[in-house]
Amino acid sequence: MSFRDIDEIIKDRKDNLLLPMLEEIQVKFGYVSEANAHYLSRKTGIPFSKIYGVITFYEMLYTEPKGKYIIRICNSPSCYLNGSLNLIKFLASLLKIKSGETTKNKKFSLEIVSCIGCCDKAPAMMINNKIYHNLDEKKIKKIISGLK
Amino acid sequence: MKILQNSNFKALSKIAGMKPEEIIEIIKKSGLTGRGGADFPTGLKLEFTRNSKGEKYVIANADEGEPGTFKDKLILEKNPNNIIEGMIIAGYAIGSNKGYLYLRGEYSYLKNKLQKVISNATKIANKLKIYFDIEIISGAGAYVCGDETAIIESIEGNRGNPRIKPPFPANKGLFNKPTLINNVETLANIPLIILDKNWNNNLRLFSLSGNVTKPGVYELESGFSLKKLINLGKPKNNIKAVYFGCSGGCIPYENIKLDSKTIKEKGAMLGSCTIIAIDEKHDLVDIATNIAKFFEYESCGKCTPCREGTMRVLELLEKISLKKAAKKDLDLLEELCRVIASTSLCELGQSSTNHITTALKYFRNEFTDKLK
Repeated sequence: MSFRDIDEIIKDRKDNLLLPMLEEIQVKFGYVSEANAHYLSRKTGIPFSKIYGVITFYEMLYTEPKGKYIIRICNSPSCYLNGSLNLIKFLASLLKIKSGETTKNKKFSLEIVSCIGCCDKAPAMMINNKIYHNLDEKKIKKIISGLK
Repeated sequence: MKILQNSNFKALSKIAGMKPEEIIEIIKKSGLTGRGGADFPTGLKLEFTRNSKGEKYVIANADEGEPGTFKDKLILEKNPNNIIEGMIIAGYAIGSNKGYLYLRGEYSYLKNKLQKVISNATKIANKLKIYFDIEIISGAGAYVCGDETAIIESIEGNRGNPRIKPPFPANKGLFNKPTLINNVETLANIPLIILDKNWNNNLRLFSLSGNVTKPGVYELESGFSLKKLINLGKPKNNIKAVYFGCSGGCIPYENIKLDSKTIKEKGAMLGSCTIIAIDEKHDLVDIATNIAKFFEYESCGKCTPCREGTMRVLELLEKISLKKAAKKDLDLLEELCRVIASTSLCELGQSSTNHITTALKYFRNEFTDKLK
């Protein structure tokens, strides 16, 4: 296994700030593997335990591989008042997974999340970096079938 | 909207020849107060940080995470220039040349656009002989990182656990250096203050959502009537209660002035002007359970009352929801709310039970009706 990508990331971060480095690693690999975290620790001198602690603290950093599309659907009050719970159930049955799980073909991961700031367009969800709003079952079905 | 007027570096040009003390004086006189919810006078914050010695930092808090709040997103999308210009002016005023914009992970789709605005702004500043470097740090989905000391921990590469205050960031902040932290709406107002002698601190951005058909950001004077605001939102059904986000608590829907003092007298908090309207079709035990889930999930785990308490609160509310709770459970819930509010380390825990305390104050029967 080559750690060249991680060397590059460390080189670009002269101030040794951990969070941006972890985010770069995740952009590259989709998650931060144990091997990569150990390598980062050795090269930067940041203890592995601290790196692991930071990854697991943040909801959007992962220690395990996730699906190609990470679906984050909001269930905070404004979305909840506009029917998000039914949509979450619908999405879970459509993808045949529960919140926190990934489909067998590694295409979709589903997460129920706190407010994503789209309360004026509730209910809303994010798929990777894109926002989908004013959702209903029909819309969700179309969005999901449109993702290749 | 006033807040979306692009100052286009006119404020930056204007302050280039001024003394930092003069800028702080202008901001102090304007009456600008923090828009993150705390309402602390920004001019004083600038002065405290200016008076601290050594290397200093500016942090823009773009980690808007309070459910129902989306006004910062509006500024980040529609008028990012003013935020960046405000950061540079603030940096110049306190004697700092390095700033961080802490952007919540959920808004990372705005990163490229913001990066361009930053590159352009720092170039223009350089021409004016103001040297200020700004870097965007992406958050990664932790509500607690809206707390100023949790942001500092997060940028430093730690878990986003809030620090005990004092020391305040103005004395010991990022990397233990004096640090000015402001919400993006506060910073975006700074160029407007520099350019407009009649700038008015009473203008607020209200995020209206929930059971209304015209949700959105409304720029209104503080003290605007709740009834008028809800009417602007055109609700389909009768509104029963309004929640000030998850942490601000709730009040019954009535004709009341929307200002911090009035809302505080009702036992709730106006905070960052978040209004979630709830119509009569919704059950408040259900809403309380939803909000309790939010706090249980977002508690950072550093202090015991919040970590354990939010979990037990959720358990009790679920029990009430399922009609399995007795009067003693409700008593326990109330006691727990008091303990969590008075002993938690940071605002997250301290305010996590407001929604229950206020719901029980105004809508107690909705809870007692469900008891065994």
